[in-house]
Amino acid sequence: MQLGGKTVKRTESVAPSERPIAMGLIVLAALAIHLPLLLMKLPLKSYDANFHIFFASHYVHHWFNPWNAKWYAGFSQATYPPLPQQWIAVISRLVGLDMAYMAVQLAAILLLALGVYRFSKLWVNPRAASFAALASVFLGSESFLVYSAGQLATTSAAPIYLNALPYLFEWVRYGKWRAFLKASVLFTAAAAAHHATLLFGSFFFALPVLALVLLDGRDGDRPDGERTPVPAFVLRTVAIVAIVGAAIAIVLLPFWIALIHYPVTQTPIPHPSRANYILSPQWGLNYFIVPYGALILALPFIAIRGSMVARLRPLLLGFWVAFLIGLGGTTPVAHLLLGRAFEVLTMERFSYWATLLALPFVGLLAAELIDRFRMRAVFALIVAAAFTCALAVAWSTFRPADASNFKVDSVASWLNRDGHDNYRYVTLGFGNKIARLAVLTDASSVDGEWNSGRMLPELTRYGAGALTSSKYFGEPGLDALRAILRHADRYGLKWVIVRDHYYDPLLKFAGWRQVDDLEDRTITIWSKDGVPPAMPVNAPQIPPHWQGILWGILPFGSSILALLAIFIPDGKRRDRPADHFLDAHENLVSGSVAS
Amino acid sequence: MNKGRLLAAFISVATVVFIAIGTLWPGPSAAAYAGGKSLLRPSSTPTAAVENLGDEIRLLAWEKAYSRLGNKAQFTEQEFEHDLTGYYLSLRTYATLESFDVRPLHASNNEAEVQIRLHWSSVVGAFVNTRNLRVVKNGDRWNVDWPLVKKPMVPPQVIAVNYLRWDVIYRGPGDDWGVQDVEAPHVRIVDMHPVQRAEGVVVLGELLNEDVVPAYVSVRATLLSKDGSQIASEGSFDKISHILLPKQITPFLINFPNATLSEVGSVRMEPLSALVSASADPVIEIENQRLNPAPDASLTGQLVNQSGQIVNIAHVLGTFYDKTGQVVWVADQYTDSALLPQSPVPFDVHIPEDLARKISSERTVIATYSVGGFQ
Repeated sequence: MQLGGKTVKRTESVAPSERPIAMGLIVLAALAIHLPLLLMKLPLKSYDANFHIFFASHYVHHWFNPWNAKWYAGFSQATYPPLPQQWIAVISRLVGLDMAYMAVQLAAILLLALGVYRFSKLWVNPRAASFAALASVFLGSESFLVYSAGQLATTSAAPIYLNALPYLFEWVRYGKWRAFLKASVLFTAAAAAHHATLLFGSFFFALPVLALVLLDGRDGDRPDGERTPVPAFVLRTVAIVAIVGAAIAIVLLPFWIALIHYPVTQTPIPHPSRANYILSPQWGLNYFIVPYGALILALPFIAIRGSMVARLRPLLLGFWVAFLIGLGGTTPVAHLLLGRAFEVLTMERFSYWATLLALPFVGLLAAELIDRFRMRAVFALIVAAAFTCALAVAWSTFRPADASNFKVDSVASWLNRDGHDNYRYVTLGFGNKIARLAVLTDASSVDGEWNSGRMLPELTRYGAGALTSSKYFGEPGLDALRAILRHADRYGLKWVIVRDHYYDPLLKFAGWRQVDDLEDRTITIWSKDGVPPAMPVNAPQIPPHWQGILWGILPFGSSILALLAIFIPDGKRRDRPADHFLDAHENLVSGSVAS
Repeated sequence: MNKGRLLAAFISVATVVFIAIGTLWPGPSAAAYAGGKSLLRPSSTPTAAVENLGDEIRLLAWEKAYSRLGNKAQFTEQEFEHDLTGYYLSLRTYATLESFDVRPLHASNNEAEVQIRLHWSSVVGAFVNTRNLRVVKNGDRWNVDWPLVKKPMVPPQVIAVNYLRWDVIYRGPGDDWGVQDVEAPHVRIVDMHPVQRAEGVVVLGELLNEDVVPAYVSVRATLLSKDGSQIASEGSFDKISHILLPKQITPFLINFPNATLSEVGSVRMEPLSALVSASADPVIEIENQRLNPAPDASLTGQLVNQSGQIVNIAHVLGTFYDKTGQVVWVADQYTDSALLPQSPVPFDVHIPEDLARKISSERTVIATYSVGGFQ
């Protein structure tokens, strides 16, 4: 551009801001994106949302009795950490179960933004950390787990865990007792929400943080000028591991007792997250492209920056291992590292953790891009974030957990009338609607969706999931179905409710007879003659009363304690190492990378 | 190279190597989802060509499977698919290919014969189809010639229907099955005895409907120890024909896995009957019935549907007697293709080798399933 014969170089009108995005704005962004979706009850279409609501509905009526007679002829809910479901049960007194689920999920989403910000500040400067927090609102894996998978426990535990990690850093690095207390109660609450998050989070999240303490504390010339002697490091680490370990052992005592007495030894059930995503591209799309979204473009940056900056290397390694495991059967790593657990766990949660570990890098990349390209970068990042979030949210409609959306109210009212609930039932072709049906009916089923909690030998012997979807598990699924129908008399199983006529020949030849139909004959009810009424199962797995009391008090109590603890003032504010150290170091490195 | 660059290079290279290993040599879970295929199996041998075809059939990738065939010009893709899944709704339609075995029979430079045994799982149990495939070399690839069985055509005809039928009038739509105020049809166990087999104790016998009305029947057996305590209780499940017309007889077989006959003091039998609507239609005739001696002892024959409607699945129950007329064994088989009117469908009921020599006669009972048919 020429002005008065002089050439003027075009510049941006706004200088780059060094200030972080206010947390209030990030929370507003999270509300703007997720609140409407949750008010629309979009997660109800997901795989597991109704499962959590079913568990919560049990706590509504039986807070101190984890034995639930509605699935598997009876099973213990102490086999699954209860915190999010107990919160749903509490809030449901005000707004009903569905909206209570949405409220708990929303709280988890908001806590995630805060947790990502605090966790990222350990590694990068506050501005980059605020970008990371904002990115968490649009994170594909978060939306995938919330709206498609319905993994409330995982998405609730991770934010609590992330919020605990900075306190772990402060305790081990500086020996602050308040940080010790807060870290302990938050870790315990995270375990009460989801035990696996704590177990694997220790490797992917806590070990890098401890390594960071070592890196920052080994030299006296660090910006905060304070060394962390190795004996102090070891002592503090051992102390918090011991205290948190003991706290978790007590808070989840009925869970551990159940796990020790009845370990999960059943035949593994196939899950497509263990597929090779190249040989099975449809699953690659589902478990890699959708959860990662535009974050895939940042992978080279993560590898390069994470390697070049010594302080970021522990975070890089944590991310890399979680990333490889999250690829399922695409690499042999998950199978090698997890052993038999590879056949029990599902892999999408590892991708979720990998993306959380990637967020500090994403924040750093966003800050540098905006510094360099200004509005063009802002526009590109908004497009990338919106695309990632939109794809993951829309995925629940493109690839719904249950393609046929139908109501089960008529089935529930049929079961609840004329004494039909004196007998047990099983559904065929109901998909994940069986949890919704279980919430609505008083009758008990021999089927269910919590595979690790089932004890019926007819179900644990075969590598299949819910009976209602038997045909999708091939021969093992059909073997399990035949085995349970064979023992119909034993379990008082009189009703088979069919929405898939695939199963009709078996019922016909095995002596069942169609007695009624519902919903314009799309659902048929089959019955077997001579079946005695269902009797309560007197299983050794029934938790004694004292365990029920513990289960009703301690996990929920741990979350109350965590809420109270975070209101304790932090005391004298100490600048985080990343505030000073990384500013100088990042500029040095980013110059070489960006130039 | 500094440490950082070395680490970045290591992570990048290691990731690529891990992905390559996982793709070229997928683990069992990954291979199962990929239909057993890896990137290392081109159709460069007759066996590999048949294995690839089997993988595509298992994945229901009909277009790909059809494109591999050497004789695809002789039939359409739809005919190929229906040859495997059934032209009419049948057990094959309800089946999924669980696995397959491939066995080369003979081979030359340009032609080979390979046998493929397809292990199907269906809602009523597993069954096996065997096909001998001609494989022809085409350039550096081998192509399979699929031995298509053409769609059976039934000539236009009129079939008179004069079968017997019994209707039951219930009190109302809320009247549950089995909760009836009428007397149950009279049924009687005419033969029963337990036998020890490798898999456990088996209780087998026959049940007769002595009444003049049709009956829904089932049998429950309880093994009692010598001190009278209960060992186990099981039902006949599908090893029985549950609908018996007047004076009709059915065999039954009840399995007690892991039980030992020496521990059994007595067996308590509980036959159950209830009045039901029933029909003599469809009438299934058995032709060319034959007891084949060991080895490979079996009961073979052909089922002919004498009615005018399609029977989608037929269940053949064979009762085998010794010279004294006592039941020696009960065996069954589901037909995997639909029974069209007047079109014979073969059946082959396997008989255990150790029992084959004791058998001197047999009786065959057919139960049927028709979509939307009379219950």
